[in-house]
Amino acid sequence: MSDLRFEELRGEEVTYAIHRQDRTFLPSREHCPLDPTKPGGEPTEIPFPSFEIAVFDNRFPAFEAPKGAAEVVVYTEEHDASFATLSAERAEDLMWVWRHRYLELGAREDVDYVYIFENRGVEVGVTLHHPHGQIYGYPFLPPVARLELEADRRLGGCAPCALLRRELDDEQRILIENDGAVVYVPYAARWAYEAHVVMRRHRASLLECEPEELRSLSLALQTLVRGYDALFDRPFPYVMAVHQAPTAAASRPDADAAGQGHLHVEFYPPLRTAEKLKYLAGSEQGEGAFISDTLPEESAARLREAIACAG
Amino acid sequence: MAGKPGERPTEEQTADALLERPGEPERIGPLVLERHVKDDGRALILYTHDRRARS
Repeated sequence: MSDLRFEELRGEEVTYAIHRQDRTFLPSREHCPLDPTKPGGEPTEIPFPSFEIAVFDNRFPAFEAPKGAAEVVVYTEEHDASFATLSAERAEDLMWVWRHRYLELGAREDVDYVYIFENRGVEVGVTLHHPHGQIYGYPFLPPVARLELEADRRLGGCAPCALLRRELDDEQRILIENDGAVVYVPYAARWAYEAHVVMRRHRASLLECEPEELRSLSLALQTLVRGYDALFDRPFPYVMAVHQAPTAAASRPDADAAGQGHLHVEFYPPLRTAEKLKYLAGSEQGEGAFISDTLPEESAARLREAIACAG
Repeated sequence: MAGKPGERPTEEQTADALLERPGEPERIGPLVLERHVKDDGRALILYTHDRRARS
């Protein structure tokens, strides 16, 4: 069981999940725990010879009932696939799986915030190469979600809606547009190739999306990650972070958080060139102040070219 | 349908969204769900695209 301690200086929770020290670390191809279990073969996390999408409780959870949740979402049985190479149908199905997990985990009293994410590449700490994401059901409102709600208050309304309007007006950093979603490099991107995939209409969470909007979202996400892979002609590492409305119960002290939020997906790629990584060093770690080597407008131009090549 | 944006989904909403019908498999959108419990007690859900025409 993990332990939570409140760090007073930064005003945020720190989670101690010391059992995770022993989690599976970069197993060989033939010992992948996310492959299906083949007849007569080594048992894996999925005891079936075939599957499409699988979700299971993390064997090494950062959070677990009655203080949250940690799940693994396996996108496909194909070990060498990626989110970018999934069929359009499978990617869209994944949106429905995300929606289902948000619904079920968000209904739990011990989950205040459902966070769906993917770490891709050893550069961001991946320990299993099989294409998968994760879901944390935080038993508290995490700092970034809290900051986004503060942005709503500061801007006097939905901040992602306001920022989307600004990006659409400016046009310079827009990467992809479809009926349901818009992708752009944000005006104040912190990472060289950071991109935000934002629902065009105000949707607090996946639960509010029409089926067509889920399709638009999956198309936008796949178009972006295919462009990422084309940018430096290599698998492009990133953290993909799905931001939605908190699910904290009305009885909780942070209940004012419930009912706010705008579904969007943020990508934080650590590469600043084909071979150079952006490290979070003195300014970023010590003071939380990002210093970037690239202009978002120039990154957006490069990404648009890569997306066109990948298309 | 969901309630107000960001509200904790109720059991009623959950059931409605899953389109549960007695005797029929659990569904969400185009997917059919199969719930399992692993040997060590952890939950496992398999999601499969339902390619049959739905009535």
